Amino acid sequence: MLKKQTLLECIAGVLIALFLYASLSKFMDFHTFTGEMLNQPLPHYITRFLIWFIPVTEIGMCIALLFERTRLYALYASLGFMTLFTIYSIFILLNFFGRIPCSCGGVIKRLTWRQHLVFNLFFVGVSVWGIILQRRKMFKSIIIN
Amino acid sequence: MKKIKWTIMTLAILTSVGGALATRPTQGDCRFAQQYYWAGWGYFPTGQWGVNYFCDASTNTCTYITDGVGHYYPCRIGDYRVLPGITNSKVPIVKKK
Repeated sequence: MLKKQTLLECIAGVLIALFLYASLSKFMDFHTFTGEMLNQPLPHYITRFLIWFIPVTEIGMCIALLFERTRLYALYASLGFMTLFTIYSIFILLNFFGRIPCSCGGVIKRLTWRQHLVFNLFFVGVSVWGIILQRRKMFKSIIIN
Repeated sequence: MKKIKWTIMTLAILTSVGGALATRPTQGDCRFAQQYYWAGWGYFPTGQWGVNYFCDASTNTCTYITDGVGHYYPCRIGDYRVLPGITNSKVPIVKKK
């Protein structure tokens, strides 16, 4: 039980590190991030919304991951986010948009789109694992009570 | 358990804050300077990154910076592309050979 709980904390910790780093690096170089987002092959009205939505949601997820009550919602949000990024990476790799934009976000921008895809898939797996562990834990606590 | 939890969380937060601080661009970063692109016969100032132009993924040099005495140095990597519709570029894009 203790081992599984520690594992769950580690999963939450890894996701917090990822999202907090990603959002902070965006806010610290907001001008470049704005340019990189406008550079994406999406309509500008969508990117202008995403410029604020993505880093704010990432910070929100970090806060929600810290607390037991909100962790499951945060894990679902993380899964949704990483799944969307994965689908976007697949579209880019399939040349769906007709061009390949930069892959952005702090050190992560140094990854190629193929590496980005593997990176995203890894965190999709981490989120799924976290959801399974958290749900089992919540289910057990309901039975005990 | 609480001790383990908060140790892990503190480590995660410190790692991400430290990482973000360590990798943030400094004022000396070339991207803060006026960018120029090579049009085949000369260097021309670019517009705003992400608004007027972008750099398509490649290993070429997309934009350059200048020291003001005629020397140009590579800055952004990629292929220079004007964003359709909104551009302040005065010359057509000629891909550097």
